[in-house]
Amino acid sequence: MSIRVNPRFINDLVLFGAEDVQLCYHCGDCSTVCPHADEVYKFPRKSMRQLQMGLERKIETTLEPWLCYYCGQCSEQCPREAAPGETMMSLRRWLISRYDFTGIAKQFFKSGMTEIITIIGFALLTAVFLFYYGYSMGNIHIYDGKGAFLSSPFIHKFDLTLGSLLLIFLAINAFRMWYFTMIKGTKVPVPWWLYVKELYLLPWHFFTQKRYSECESKRNPKIFMPWIIHLGLMLGYVIMLILVMVFIERLQSGPAIQWQVHIFGYLATIGLVTGTIYIIRNRLNKTYEQYKKSHSTDWVFIVLLFFIVLTGIAQHIFHRTGLYELANITYIVHLMCVVPWLLRMPFSKWAHLVYRPLAMYFAAIRRDAITRREISLKSNSVSIK
Amino acid sequence: MKNCRIGVYICMCGTNIAKIVDVESVSKFVSELPNVTLVRTYKYMCSNPGQEMIVQDIKENQLNRIVVAACSPNMHERTFRGALRSAGLNQYLFEMANIREQCSWVHDDTKEATEKAMAMILAAIRKVELHEPLESMSVDMSPNVLVIGGGIAGMTAALELADAGHSVHLVEKNAQLGGNIARVDLTAPYLYSARDLLTERLTRIRDNKHIKVYYGSKVINLSGYIGNFTAAIQKQNGKTGTNHDPVEIHIGNVIVCTGYKEFDASRITHYGYGKLPNVITSFELEKMIRAGRIETKEGKVPQYVAIIHCVGSRSQEFHTYCSRVCCMTALKYAHEIKSANPKCYISDVYIDMHAFGKGHEDFYLRSSEAKTLFLMYEKNDRPVIHRAGPKDDCEMLIEVNEKLSGELIEIPADLVVLMVGMEARPDSAEVAHLVNISQDKDGWFIESHPKLEPVATTTDGIFIAGTCVAPKDIPDTVAQARAAAARIMAKISKGKIEVDAVYSEVNEDICSGCRFCNKLCPYSAIEFNEKEGHSHIISALCKACGVCVAACPSAAIKGRHFTDAQVLSEIDGLTQTIQYVEP
Repeated sequence: MSIRVNPRFINDLVLFGAEDVQLCYHCGDCSTVCPHADEVYKFPRKSMRQLQMGLERKIETTLEPWLCYYCGQCSEQCPREAAPGETMMSLRRWLISRYDFTGIAKQFFKSGMTEIITIIGFALLTAVFLFYYGYSMGNIHIYDGKGAFLSSPFIHKFDLTLGSLLLIFLAINAFRMWYFTMIKGTKVPVPWWLYVKELYLLPWHFFTQKRYSECESKRNPKIFMPWIIHLGLMLGYVIMLILVMVFIERLQSGPAIQWQVHIFGYLATIGLVTGTIYIIRNRLNKTYEQYKKSHSTDWVFIVLLFFIVLTGIAQHIFHRTGLYELANITYIVHLMCVVPWLLRMPFSKWAHLVYRPLAMYFAAIRRDAITRREISLKSNSVSIK
Repeated sequence: MKNCRIGVYICMCGTNIAKIVDVESVSKFVSELPNVTLVRTYKYMCSNPGQEMIVQDIKENQLNRIVVAACSPNMHERTFRGALRSAGLNQYLFEMANIREQCSWVHDDTKEATEKAMAMILAAIRKVELHEPLESMSVDMSPNVLVIGGGIAGMTAALELADAGHSVHLVEKNAQLGGNIARVDLTAPYLYSARDLLTERLTRIRDNKHIKVYYGSKVINLSGYIGNFTAAIQKQNGKTGTNHDPVEIHIGNVIVCTGYKEFDASRITHYGYGKLPNVITSFELEKMIRAGRIETKEGKVPQYVAIIHCVGSRSQEFHTYCSRVCCMTALKYAHEIKSANPKCYISDVYIDMHAFGKGHEDFYLRSSEAKTLFLMYEKNDRPVIHRAGPKDDCEMLIEVNEKLSGELIEIPADLVVLMVGMEARPDSAEVAHLVNISQDKDGWFIESHPKLEPVATTTDGIFIAGTCVAPKDIPDTVAQARAAAARIMAKISKGKIEVDAVYSEVNEDICSGCRFCNKLCPYSAIEFNEKEGHSHIISALCKACGVCVAACPSAAIKGRHFTDAQVLSEIDGLTQTIQYVEP
């Protein structure tokens, strides 16, 4: 059965950042230089080809874009300046919009303005709601305990509600990803126990991002900084998320510092501050290949995160120094950033926090299944004298 | 042979000869032979000191025959003949023994190689003993030129010659000049208008009093030889069927620029050309572009256009060669279609992208930038065109195994353009016969040397240029036309043409007039004198191949410089038993 070529697809992908893919003439230099490409997962060249030809149904079942960490060696090597690294990036954006069943992600990727207006809208809604709640239930001069402007049990419920909303969207999208890649995209039978066998990969890749460091296996000199920063940022982020979702009431009590909880908060803050500053600087200075092109969603991601970190720190300082009124106002500003940020998660690049480890997990399962199939084909083959 | 004073020079060719052949033993052997006055060995005989040595020896030792044992005469016979001339000796009193290509390079045993070298030199000595001084002669060169074919090649050549003041007869089969270039809109890769290229030339030809154009005419006969051809030109009148009287002209040289014909796309059934209305050839698209409307047969603006490369070219079934111009022309179409309708999607279905020329690679890059979708197929796995279904948003679907992705794909298309290749014209055999030149297996005219003589042919005075030689683009065609004109002008400027003294002669007293030789001569150099009843060889045309000498039943033909006595003596020398004893 033949697949229909779609020459329009390449135009759609421009909005996702793939501006130069048409220049590729398939010399294959990118796949040669890539430390991750192998016999089973051939990229970036193959992905470039599928994109040029507009094989949407093929691309939505591929795992290759997730196996790339964008070290940029392919783009540096490309004789046609077709930016294979950026193409893989844009395919990841496209896949995020594809996994997302609501169609919101697609709108955000296609129009930076839509995204910014939506964020501002949600921020204002948050502000109105919180000020209304705060004034009707408490006193702006009290931060903590009885009569607090935003009491910690209330914030805890508020966070958990947001978190569950987030989880529902992510779970549905992750399920769609599994369906596309493992049901539609894996042509060989996959026994259930392979899912168990490779399960350790999920936490392993999530917490170490070891594959990112392997990007440097062929490069000389090795540039480990982006990996370290990325890892620090992610760990900081996850720790903070856990603290906020579980320990918010202890975090918010004061003014004495609760070291058992706050120590983690400080460590996470170090990771977040260095990470955001490093990435913003590199995006501005266009230092490495992966920072040379910045999609509007990349900027929204990092700038919003930077604001969250800044307002979080400010709020913490105001609280501990007894400036409660200021602390309450900064807290609302902080939440004005946090709410749209959290709600935006499943529809943005941030979702790769979930998709990437899942992709590593699925890729390993698919590879095992293919190997199993090859072995069984070999043992069944008839030898002819 | 009396009074023979032979000088023998043995070249070591660096170590090329000396490492296998024992040169000193050969020298000693030769020095003991009768008639040999002097033997020398030298590292490089062809060098200036080597040649000067020969000149000096001839003068000081009154040498009257020279043998050089070195490389192939193809390489250095002219060099050493020159040395003889500058010493005041007739250049034909010379013989070369090829002890490099025919001996040292093909043997690895010193004993055998040395014995063979000795025998070869002995044979050369035996032959040179019988050599006679020969004088080359010269014939008049007519400055008029006949150019057959009025395309870009013919027009360029004619103008080049006429600008130098030579009279040119330009014969064009059609009613107007221009050939295939007149059917083209823009040219790749710089997008110059073909019409502009043509108009300038047409005006100059019209205004040039040295060029006589014969429209709608054909050359029906050509006789004579270089410098002295007679051609008959007849105006064709297909419609009324009346034959005009042929015009007879005298010329010195001929340039054949008969061009090409495009491949008949209906021969490839996969493509449905002639059956599917919107499958068209590249020339049909040119027509649309020139008319200013690219549309389907139904008058709709196509949304998807597919361009298929190598139609008739690079295939075992049709033509194995590459037609050279289609790749860039296809990119030009992508550009033109996209300019006319930026919303159109263009798929370019190719085997390999041949972007070899100046500016071609940049043009290819620009086409990529304009988002032309390039799809590659395997040489012998041609695409198939189907009519699309009622649900599809296109007229046709092209099914092909795409090589770079390894997928079997369908390409949507409303208009399919077939890049038809070039092939030799159906009347090329007739032309080849008329001017006595050869054709290769594909019907292209053969040049006398593919690299060093790209516009000359094996018949002196007949030149070829442009796409009648092989597919090529406009710059190459123009370059060839100018090269042919330059070659002719060099000959004309001498006024006379030197004819090599080595040719065959008929002893008219012995010739019985059987005319065997007339038919055998590959150069049409033998004419028959009806009145006297004997054959005559036109020395200017004869290449001294010796076919007539061998064929003559009355032994009436003598090959000068290769007489029976000379050749037999040479064989005698070659078959002597020589023993080499290692020193």
